[in-house]
Amino acid sequence: MTGSLIILQPGHSVVTDLGRTKGPAYGLPVNGALDQFSAKAANILAGNADNDPLLELTALDFRMRATTDLLIAVTGAPLDLTVGGRESPQWEPVSVRAGEVVAVRGIRTGLRAYIAVHGSFTVPSLLGSCAPDTVVGFGLKLVEGFRLETRTTTAPITQPHFGLPLFRLGITKPAFTTNPVIDVTDGPDVAEFGDTAGLLFTTQYAVSPRSNHIGLRLGGALPERQLTSEVLSRGVPVGAIEVPSRDELLVLHRGRGVTAGYPVLAVVTSRSLDLLAQARPGHTVTFRRTTVAEATATHRTACLELERLRQTINTVFGLLGIGAGQRWYELSPASGA
Amino acid sequence: MAATTTTTSQTTLDIYESGDAALRVVARSGDAETNWATVHSLAGWLAATGVEGIHGAVPTYDSVLVEFDPYLTSARQVRAFVLLGMRQLDFVGTTLREPRRFEVPVVYGGDYGPDLDRVAEHQGLDVEDVIARHTAKTYVIRCLGAPAGSPMMDGPDFPVPVPRLKDPRLSVPAGAVSVAGRQAVIAPAVAPGGWCVIGQTPLTVLDAAREPLVPYVPGDELRFYRIPAEDFGNFAGQFLEARP
Repeated sequence: MTGSLIILQPGHSVVTDLGRTKGPAYGLPVNGALDQFSAKAANILAGNADNDPLLELTALDFRMRATTDLLIAVTGAPLDLTVGGRESPQWEPVSVRAGEVVAVRGIRTGLRAYIAVHGSFTVPSLLGSCAPDTVVGFGLKLVEGFRLETRTTTAPITQPHFGLPLFRLGITKPAFTTNPVIDVTDGPDVAEFGDTAGLLFTTQYAVSPRSNHIGLRLGGALPERQLTSEVLSRGVPVGAIEVPSRDELLVLHRGRGVTAGYPVLAVVTSRSLDLLAQARPGHTVTFRRTTVAEATATHRTACLELERLRQTINTVFGLLGIGAGQRWYELSPASGA
Repeated sequence: MAATTTTTSQTTLDIYESGDAALRVVARSGDAETNWATVHSLAGWLAATGVEGIHGAVPTYDSVLVEFDPYLTSARQVRAFVLLGMRQLDFVGTTLREPRRFEVPVVYGGDYGPDLDRVAEHQGLDVEDVIARHTAKTYVIRCLGAPAGSPMMDGPDFPVPVPRLKDPRLSVPAGAVSVAGRQAVIAPAVAPGGWCVIGQTPLTVLDAAREPLVPYVPGDELRFYRIPAEDFGNFAGQFLEARP
């Protein structure tokens, strides 16, 4: 049975997924959830596929009303979550009964939060992704009163009389901080900056209010390109650090234009891009040099952590009869039984 | 790690690490045409083979950015795969498909091309001569750029490179026909821009209801022709399409 919810207070929210990975080949930015770890965790906790559409909230308070019974999970930056007026845990599955209001208030320390709903949403897609693209003008506009259809409903599974949380899965939440340390690898053009490249690792940078999903602008001592020759337009990776002006460092994020003509000083690792997605104006950022091999290992460790979470969820949801997992009576008997 | 260099019979390749999820591959043959054909053939080969974990390739002039999922594959594996692709292309030759041709009506100057006079003055040409040079050439679409798959082309035969605007515009309309440096472009969508806008086409370039959004691919050919301002409305709702 399909379900639905109604947006009461959109704040700054979008329906997105892990991004339009086919986009860059056609000149479109990848976009998608800026904190990929939190987005994947939300979907896994809600019993969805990693790439299923979910809500991304940026900075502002948000409220929605479930019109059918739903199961949700909220991840990302620390915040106050209430469901039907009850304080509810973040980074755990939470049952929402038909008619109840889900309210997110006071997103703090970080910038972005994610709400996944079991069964996800039925939304339009472009090149295999529902992620909004502001340049092309694609994506749902979430306004007050907007109804989002979900593919399934989930009968309530909280303790009905006391409203106690049923799930205590105890996921290790990522640490959120106002002065994150960001890992970067040498960019392909690092040599063009000569000795000034080292400034990147000895400077504390302040996040500018002009930062957004396209890129973060950081104030501080700036490495300077030692050449003046023109650069042919090239594809630039998400995470590329450039010095386009004398005022600020530019760190490109998932909304970045696919090609540019600035030399790439360094590239932020996949795992640290999640941390940057949570950096607010006024936060301070320091950079640490790493290698591609180490960055890959770190990323895979995070992926494996999510895989373990998925196995736990599959088992628990299977026993409760949520989704397509195994039921308790379908499990193979324990040895010796 | 810096670049690793590999030489095939066709050209020399430099492969640079670009974070944990991308590689930049640069062709260094000494000849711009060869470099361009090499990186676009390589991108085509990567797309056609559809290897697990490789998201896609962004080829431009002399380089191609190869993006991948660092959980499913790694920079090392993708590097090896790129070299395999180069050996394959070495064997079969760089094959680009037969170009299609596009013809683009443009209203020059006035509100449609607010920078036309400035460009003419800077080039030391009169306005008619700028338009004549812009419409004289058959352009090859070199790559798809930002925003939204803009067709990046080598510019008209102007005496000197066109400087960018000192203060980029916050909003340039879709269909704007611009020049900068030694390049020319059409804007498929409304976006900020620092290029000199010399005209505008009434055709719709980007169709969000169609995949992949824009009708051309790198290697296709394009010509501009001049229309009077009063004809602009006659093209309303028409899409840019290849000539049959």
